Amino acid sequence: MPQPLKLAVICSSNMNRSMEAHNFLSKKGYRVQSFGTGDKVKLPGAAPDRPNVYEFGTPYDDIYQDLLQKDRELYTRNGLLHMLDRNRRIKPHPERFQSTSEQFNLILTCEERVYDQVIESNGLEGRDSQTTPVHVVNIEIQDNHEEATIGAFLMCELVSMMANSDDLDNDIDEMLQDFEAKCQRPILHCLLFY
Amino acid sequence: MDKIKIEKGTSTEEQIVELLNSAATESDDQSKVDCLIKIQELIIYKEPGLLDNFVDEITAFQHDRSADVRKTVVGFIEEACKVDHELLGKVMHSLQLLLNDTSIAVQKRVIQALTQLHKITLQWLAKAKSVSELMERTWNMLSQMKSQIAKMIDHDNDGVRTIAVKFYEMIIISQTYPEPDSVRKENEFSLEEVPLTLKVARPRKLEEEAQLMIEDLMKYHGSAHISSANLMACMGSLTHIAKSRPQFLDRIVTAMEMLHANLPPTLSKSQVNSVRKHLKLQLLAILKHPASHERSGNIKTLLADLGATPQEINKSLPSPEEIAKHPRRSERAEDSKSGPAAKRRKIEVDAIPTRENTREKALSITEEFIVQHLSTNKATDLVIESLPRISNNMPPHFSSTYTPVSEAGTPKQIRHVARLLASQMTNAGIGPGVDQVGYFPKMRNDFEDDDEEMDFMPGEAAISPRFRDGDDPEPAKPGMAQIQPQAQSRARQRALKLAEIAKPLTPQMNESMARSALQRVLKAERTAMLGGVAANRQKIIASLATLFSGDFKDLVVEYIMSDPRSRIELAFSWLYEEYSMVMGFCHQSSIVKDEYHHSAIKSYSGVFCSLVNELKKQTDLKEREILLNRLFLESPHIPEDGVSVLRSMLCEDAKLVDISIQIVRQLVHRPTKQLVYLNVLLEISSHEVEEVRSAVLSCLTELYDRGALRRVIEDYALMCLKFLLLEEPPALLSGPEKGRSEVITTWTEEVTNACLYLFLVILHSNEKLIHELAIVYVQANADIKRRILRMVEGPVEGMGMESPELLKLVETCPKGAETLLIRIIHILTDKYPPTPALVDRVRNIYQQRVPDVRFLIPVLNGLGKKEVLSVLPKLIKLNPDVVKKVFGRLLGTQGDSTATYPSPLSPTELLIALHNIDSTQCDMKTIMKATSMCFMERGVYTQEVLAVVMQQLMDQNSLPTLLMRTVLQSLSLYPRLSGFVMNILQRLIVKQVWKQKKVWEGFIKCCQRTKPQSFAVILQLPPQFLQELLNSSPDLKTPLLEHVMAFTDNQRMHIPKLTMDVLNGIAQFQAEAEELNNEDSKEAGSPEPMESTFHGDIEPPAPGET
Repeated sequence: MPQPLKLAVICSSNMNRSMEAHNFLSKKGYRVQSFGTGDKVKLPGAAPDRPNVYEFGTPYDDIYQDLLQKDRELYTRNGLLHMLDRNRRIKPHPERFQSTSEQFNLILTCEERVYDQVIESNGLEGRDSQTTPVHVVNIEIQDNHEEATIGAFLMCELVSMMANSDDLDNDIDEMLQDFEAKCQRPILHCLLFY
Repeated sequence: MDKIKIEKGTSTEEQIVELLNSAATESDDQSKVDCLIKIQELIIYKEPGLLDNFVDEITAFQHDRSADVRKTVVGFIEEACKVDHELLGKVMHSLQLLLNDTSIAVQKRVIQALTQLHKITLQWLAKAKSVSELMERTWNMLSQMKSQIAKMIDHDNDGVRTIAVKFYEMIIISQTYPEPDSVRKENEFSLEEVPLTLKVARPRKLEEEAQLMIEDLMKYHGSAHISSANLMACMGSLTHIAKSRPQFLDRIVTAMEMLHANLPPTLSKSQVNSVRKHLKLQLLAILKHPASHERSGNIKTLLADLGATPQEINKSLPSPEEIAKHPRRSERAEDSKSGPAAKRRKIEVDAIPTRENTREKALSITEEFIVQHLSTNKATDLVIESLPRISNNMPPHFSSTYTPVSEAGTPKQIRHVARLLASQMTNAGIGPGVDQVGYFPKMRNDFEDDDEEMDFMPGEAAISPRFRDGDDPEPAKPGMAQIQPQAQSRARQRALKLAEIAKPLTPQMNESMARSALQRVLKAERTAMLGGVAANRQKIIASLATLFSGDFKDLVVEYIMSDPRSRIELAFSWLYEEYSMVMGFCHQSSIVKDEYHHSAIKSYSGVFCSLVNELKKQTDLKEREILLNRLFLESPHIPEDGVSVLRSMLCEDAKLVDISIQIVRQLVHRPTKQLVYLNVLLEISSHEVEEVRSAVLSCLTELYDRGALRRVIEDYALMCLKFLLLEEPPALLSGPEKGRSEVITTWTEEVTNACLYLFLVILHSNEKLIHELAIVYVQANADIKRRILRMVEGPVEGMGMESPELLKLVETCPKGAETLLIRIIHILTDKYPPTPALVDRVRNIYQQRVPDVRFLIPVLNGLGKKEVLSVLPKLIKLNPDVVKKVFGRLLGTQGDSTATYPSPLSPTELLIALHNIDSTQCDMKTIMKATSMCFMERGVYTQEVLAVVMQQLMDQNSLPTLLMRTVLQSLSLYPRLSGFVMNILQRLIVKQVWKQKKVWEGFIKCCQRTKPQSFAVILQLPPQFLQELLNSSPDLKTPLLEHVMAFTDNQRMHIPKLTMDVLNGIAQFQAEAEELNNEDSKEAGSPEPMESTFHGDIEPPAPGET
């Protein structure tokens, strides 16, 4: 039996898509953590040009209270409050991927830009002789509640396939091809090293 | 650390011991791993001082069943060595073992660890004041592993390959010198740290090694069958190398350009996307490096092709200040010509002339050429030319990767297109650059995928899936249009001219050219091997040899036989090629009709035979036998001629017998041809030469015992057996393949035996056949009978007495086979006593059918006493030798093991029985001869036995005729019996010995022989008979008288007067004889006490026991 996979699910703000997947996967019993790669945590505001912006590290609870105060009705309607309520029960605050030093076996990203940033951040890490491989897989998920739920399902399916493999490094190519054919979404995959 | 509950007061050491114990006893793999991890943390992070104490205990877990545990051990070793370099020497061996682990995961982990430890080992060596033997050994071990890992880049497992790529990266970085603009990472190791004086690992050597490795890595990077994960790992590694060692940056950027133009055809659509994306990211990373400045033009266009936005590219460009700081490579080289760096550079340039360089050169020449020629008209022509070849539907990946062409028509863009075209042309091996530099691309495919290679044509290769080059300059221009302009037109021209100019060659010319072509191919062995196309060459030769006939084949045979060891594979591929012709598997043979089928068969069989024959002649070749074996066993088919070659091998060449038999033995199990090979064996089973025959026979017995071919073998054996009934030996038995070259017309011993060998061998397995033998025996002539009798011994002995078939034969013995039967019974009882069953049957025969006493001899020991006694007279009438044998059996003196037989007669009984044979049944002479034979057996008839015999004979009512003869003979054999004889004589007087003439004569002789002891007995004779005695032997008289005279008066008184008278020569009185006799008997006990001549252990028989 290979060691259980250590997973990271990453979107840009560590709010919707990554948290949905985090919630889902951890319920299924996987070792999972979630991150964002953006500079700031951004949430939709009262108008498209006036988003709510927070620093990574601001507790979900604080954001929740903040939005509640700003426009309870609006944020209940667009589901943000509900989402934040879920998030604060999973972990205290959004985390930024670039500032973690944790190592994973598998990183799942939710859009191409995030995938790029993950790869870029890997190159920045200034350590020599990186030999531990990590697979980075991107599945395109639009940033809305419905898509996030579907995305979480997809991710879970992929992860369960991978967790059952005896030799992930050897099997992943085929798995991803099968998976891609099934989910009808473009998949990106690459191999990085810690 | 917080996982471990540290009890207060326990030292770390104690905790470790405890954990070790629980790790050893834990049955669950996961808890074992946990324990080991705890130990690792305790030791390495808390008390590294303990490391030395415990490292052996922990490495001992490397033999654990669980791969996870082994992996943990590797991790421990890695961490431990990082802390304490001295441990390297200790653990390297463990790593070597683990590198060959069965679990892929462990192997990967070891490579990973070695990636770190290689660097550390080098550091360790570099820092050491002097290199100890241990260090040297460690380094050697590491080097071995290094080469092993280097080979793993072709491993079956994707993951292993990936890790191996990383290993390459590490070696390349740590075994080269950094440059001022290298991106340095903390902890990085480079050749700078290795002193030039280090002997075990010379920096120069290490650098050369790294150069070779980067060659390999780039080759791998460009290989067609690379998987997407490997490719991305490879790209990552190359990027890393480019940044850390900018001296390679140029070549790496070129490699990436080539990759972009020639993506592996095996990748799926999404993989292509991933790879392109990855390539873009890698290029961006390289672009950030100031050293990329010189190639930034190429990189930027590449990036644009890959879909990078200008903003992205600009963001990655290094700032002008950085570029300014970074001196131009060429300038810098000139600047520091005298410095060590320049020297190194020179070495480097000299060291790697190689393919990559020529390739680059070729590429740039072609690029220049295209730039000069790519006018708008040309481009239009190209597009028009290739339009018909565009598929009707847009390929999906074209649409997904297509990016609109920016800056179309600018010189920069033309140059870019030129470069793209150039790299494809160079890869396809065409273009002016290729011609000038002499660069030939490697075959894109390795030999594993032969099929692909078969239909590999230069034109197609260039066209293949290049559709994804949607980044082409003119939107309307598809990928395939990028085939170079002039090559295409050239091809067209040539095709036109060919038809006009070409004239058929004369047949001679044709043949001689073909021949020299073949010879060239044959000569090119080494070149082909070096070029890595040995397998193709083999295939070429095989097909050529198959297609041509006659001396072409001889040429190839000769070629193979000049080094059969290494060329046998060629022989096989040729044979298979021939075979496919026969069977019609080949393309070519689809046109071949039935009439050709025949010649194909002939050709195959010719090739096969000449291969075997030639190989046979190579007597000094060590592997000759192995190769012969392979030829027969691995060839697709063995033609008829091949079978006869095999047969002749069996019979003619003594050295090849073993291997030939082995071959036939294996071939015989091939169902369709079973009988053919069995026949070969059967025919040779009567071979003249012993070794050949015995080998074949043992093989046949094995087959016979196995049962499947039983009938055939049996029939053949019987046929041979029945030959014996013919007037003269059949021609089948002579001939060279039997080892008898002349035709034999008489039944000599050998020929007779030849008919029997096989039969007798299988007789052992099937005893029923013995009846057949008996039938043949009856009809055969006397000579043959004799030979059969001689041959039958071994097999019959093997059958044993219990064999029901034998007993049945004894029971039903056909008329005329008695001698055979006697022989058989003899053989059977030679070493073992006869069984009751056998005795019964023999007795029956004797009593009911054949009253030949000779039947009984072998079973004598099994008969009852009475029976023996009744046939004794008949027995002793036989030939003396036979009688001797009979006695041997009865007395147990024959052979060695017979002593233990219970004989129906004791020696005493036998002798007595002989004495008592009625003279009507047998004449005296025979009996006498028989008794003397008994006396010859001195070991059996000792003086005691004889004494008993005499005693018992005396006790009988009538005295046997031969009694005195026996007494006399006993006496002469054993003079010490004289006392006992006296006793007998005395008793004979009592028994009135004179009444039996023969005995009386014997008595007198005995008295003569035993004088003077006998005098006392003589004196007891009645005077009348004393007179008779003295008459018949007058020489006794005087001594007897003297004897009497020597008596004292008193003694003399006891001698009857009449006796004295007789002694004194006075006339005897017949009348008183009767009376005297009575008197005598009264006095018998009294006169002269017997002088006891008996000693010690011998009991003298009591005189009065009558």
